[in-house]
Amino acid sequence: MSELRKDPVIGRWVIISTERAKRPSDLKVEPARPRGGFCPLCPGNEDKTPPEVFSLPEDRPGGRGWAVRVVPNKFPALSSQGSLDKRAEGMYDIMNGVGAHEVIVETPDHEATLSTLPVADITTILLTFKARLDALKQDNRLHYTSVFKNCGEAAGASLEHPHSQLIALPVIPRRVMEKLDGAQAYFSYKRQCVFCDIIEQELSDGRRLVADNEHFVAFEPFASRFPFETHILPRAHRAVFEETPGDLMNALAGIMSVVFKKINAALGFPPYNFMLHTAPFNKDVSDFYHWHLEIIPRLTKVAGFEWGSGFYINPTPPEQAAQYLRDTETPG
Amino acid sequence: MATILFADDEESIRLLYREEFEEAGYTVVLAADGEEALQKFSETDPDLLVIDIKMPGMDGIELVGRIRETNTEVPVILCTAYGEYRQNLETWASDEYIVKSANLDGLISKVAELLERNVSP
Repeated sequence: MSELRKDPVIGRWVIISTERAKRPSDLKVEPARPRGGFCPLCPGNEDKTPPEVFSLPEDRPGGRGWAVRVVPNKFPALSSQGSLDKRAEGMYDIMNGVGAHEVIVETPDHEATLSTLPVADITTILLTFKARLDALKQDNRLHYTSVFKNCGEAAGASLEHPHSQLIALPVIPRRVMEKLDGAQAYFSYKRQCVFCDIIEQELSDGRRLVADNEHFVAFEPFASRFPFETHILPRAHRAVFEETPGDLMNALAGIMSVVFKKINAALGFPPYNFMLHTAPFNKDVSDFYHWHLEIIPRLTKVAGFEWGSGFYINPTPPEQAAQYLRDTETPG
Repeated sequence: MATILFADDEESIRLLYREEFEEAGYTVVLAADGEEALQKFSETDPDLLVIDIKMPGMDGIELVGRIRETNTEVPVILCTAYGEYRQNLETWASDEYIVKSANLDGLISKVAELLERNVSP
């Protein structure tokens, strides 16, 4: 019989299909064929992007000038200029489309992936996220910044060159508010951080654990929405990603490298999204929130039932997915 | 005077481009799809291209990518009636991305601006 499982943070239910469970080999994808052609993010084509707002130099012999570049979206949906001008139209709320949309070009190497990049290069990307979050929070019009990566066409990426994005918003998105509200309610009841309790249980149980190191834990959530959905959390309670000490970024890069090596080896370089969930700007959530990274390989499709109900049907129990990833040998 | 290559699969739009831009003093070259645009691009060596994104066969985004493989300098304006391409970073191979309008004043001034920018040191 299938199981209904409840997410302990936001109370979302998922259906874990145990009878018709899909094995990882059923989900493995054919690697996408490289499309090639002109790439506006490659070294030498910097004039095809807007002027960079941040960059780090490539510190190695034969380097191509930069290790990471951050550029504003060339054709942005939100403008960094102007005031919010909040107003109403009858019962409806409106404000100007103020915000920021930036593209983080993660490496000069067009062919690289997070499973092939050296850990030091992933650390550089994470330090770039931190630098941009620190800079954007100085703008008091902005309340939340979503850092995310779309990799592969099925995950919404239109360019192969390794890149992630951030969108800074003048409001806290509803999905983030759900997490904040859920974590706050749990804290009010138990005087404990729900994420710290999850980490403790996952470490002692071990069935859903994928990898861990001195500072971070990677596991398949108990109520995973998708096959091989993987979350990475710092062991120490910390609400704000950008307050993570620099030396811990190396440990985060290390566990990300392990997780992506396992996912790519097990599933054949699937398209995926990752989303960094950190605290909003200008709101003290330090008692009850805990930043985390969600990685979602795009192996199944979201359809009418999910859109209509908020339920998800996951055909691979997270315990099986975790076991498979733990058993997957990774190169290097 | 500058030569502009317009690629658009709608004949009425192509005729509108010819009428308005010839009146503005430009030499106009028209193509009805991506393949024809590539051929006319190599034959006429235009100073600027205006490309519709949504075309059958090779779409405007692929066309810009093909042109950029051999020429990264010529200014390109992508036109679309749809907002969905705003998140497509392949559009960055172009210099401008504008939403189509029956009034071509905005496009005419954008063309002039890009041509001027391209000859300025």
